[in-house]
Amino acid sequence: MKLKILGSSSSGNCYLLQTPTGTLILECGVRFKDIQKGLCFDLASVQGCIITHEHQDHCKCVEDIMKAGIDVYTSNGTAKALGLSGHRLFTVCTGSQFTLGDFIVLPFTAEHDCSEPLGFLIKYKSTGEKLLFATDTYYIRHRFASLNYILVECNYCKDSLDANIDAGYIPQGMKNRLLRSHFSLEHVKEFLAANDMSSVHKIVLLHLSDSNSDSERMVREISELTHKEVEIADVGMTIKLELCPF
Amino acid sequence: MSNALTIKKETVDFVAERVKFFQGSGELVFPTNYIPENALKSAWLIMQETTNRDGKPVLESCTKDSIANSLLSMVVQGLNPDKKQCYFIAYGQKLLMQRSYFGSMVVAKSVNEDIEDIFGDVVYDGDDFEYSKVRGKNVVTRHTQKIENVNKSKIIAAYATLLYFSGKEESTIMTFEQIKQAWKQSKMNPVNDSGQVKPGSTHDKFTADMCLKTVINKACKMVINGSDDRSIVSKFANETSDSVTEASVELEISENANGDVIDIAPEFLTGEINSDIVVDHQATFTKQPPAIPAPLMDDGPGF
Repeated sequence: MKLKILGSSSSGNCYLLQTPTGTLILECGVRFKDIQKGLCFDLASVQGCIITHEHQDHCKCVEDIMKAGIDVYTSNGTAKALGLSGHRLFTVCTGSQFTLGDFIVLPFTAEHDCSEPLGFLIKYKSTGEKLLFATDTYYIRHRFASLNYILVECNYCKDSLDANIDAGYIPQGMKNRLLRSHFSLEHVKEFLAANDMSSVHKIVLLHLSDSNSDSERMVREISELTHKEVEIADVGMTIKLELCPF
Repeated sequence: MSNALTIKKETVDFVAERVKFFQGSGELVFPTNYIPENALKSAWLIMQETTNRDGKPVLESCTKDSIANSLLSMVVQGLNPDKKQCYFIAYGQKLLMQRSYFGSMVVAKSVNEDIEDIFGDVVYDGDDFEYSKVRGKNVVTRHTQKIENVNKSKIIAAYATLLYFSGKEESTIMTFEQIKQAWKQSKMNPVNDSGQVKPGSTHDKFTADMCLKTVINKACKMVINGSDDRSIVSKFANETSDSVTEASVELEISENANGDVIDIAPEFLTGEINSDIVVDHQATFTKQPPAIPAPLMDDGPGF
């Protein structure tokens, strides 16, 4: 599998999970034009688009996606908040897995300041590889078994945030919102420490804040904790997700 | 020395010394009717009776630093726990002093000495209620009420007025819809999905009181958060709500995060589980993959 990153920040999020038997679009918070380009205009390979929540940086072009004949899978709360309807919309529930071509997707509840946000556990049937996709959540209620790839938000470092507040660069209100909406490095580490990492091959950190994060430190601390390969998602990158990299 | 006495020495006595230091340096001036020693004594008695959610005394379960900080915060803000102006609440091992709306009124008057009084009322359907805008601020110009209007199902708004010594008035007005929205943000969330106050909740039993509390809190927040941090009182007042947010988030995460293990069920179950999924139409969930595998853009094996 390959993960093509078309956006991974508050200005837009979109990831293409590409396999030889089809592509899954994770979020569509960028221009539709960029998604078309990212897919090399091969829309026929798309199995569907899954959306975590209603904020525009995750679903900006959802209507274009549906118009282009791509099925959209999201929670009822997100669909309602966005006013979505039509035969391309499929509303899914926490805990009820569904199949999209060669992917099996299990939605679970995320913790964010919006209506019914989700995270997704995804299995690629052809190889049995398992991937966790969790973004815009300040913690995760569950643990997961035998994951191969972890795509998780790592938005800010607590001390960088506090330093920015003390310096007056960021208002206190913003911190209070961040605390209840985004994953901090400290809490991501707790999450990783609580999970069985024995089958994990790669950890990709998503949605880093521009001003409150320190990418080098995040990679260093998470590598030291997990002894796994850690990458930071950035626009334009393609990350190989392979069980055997040799 | 008994354990309780040791804790008292390291918290109450320590705080009393700090307060004396602030007073001595002129950073802290209390109103003549506020005796910090008495407030500390009351707080100590209350703390001895206060337990965490598991029924364990907070003086045993919380750190000494957090106990001392909560006491210091109370005294600096001039609050009296006997008058229910503040509470001590344990968030895990951290004890925090949380202001009640009575306490917020005390602090608002303290950080803005031009405020003479803070009061408010609830507006019912049928009341004669008028307000005007003066430089973007609301001023209630008339509110008359008939006793038969007073009915919790007829509440349409609530307001809180800051009366200044100069005679100037400023009001914060919230419609009942806005108040319910504010309640929805609280952890207690007493409003159901259809927008009704949940029957039997405190907010349902004492709707008018809770409306008043919400709007007065909002009015005080404007004063407290709008004050600069030059005075030590403002600094502690602003820190109180922030530290409560931080501690409650930490507690929530420690209690709820990284719980049970969930996993994808074997595929033969997928069909059954899929049938539970709410869909907008009766389409099948499994789309056929393209007959010819889509080409990938690199030359590698792909997986």
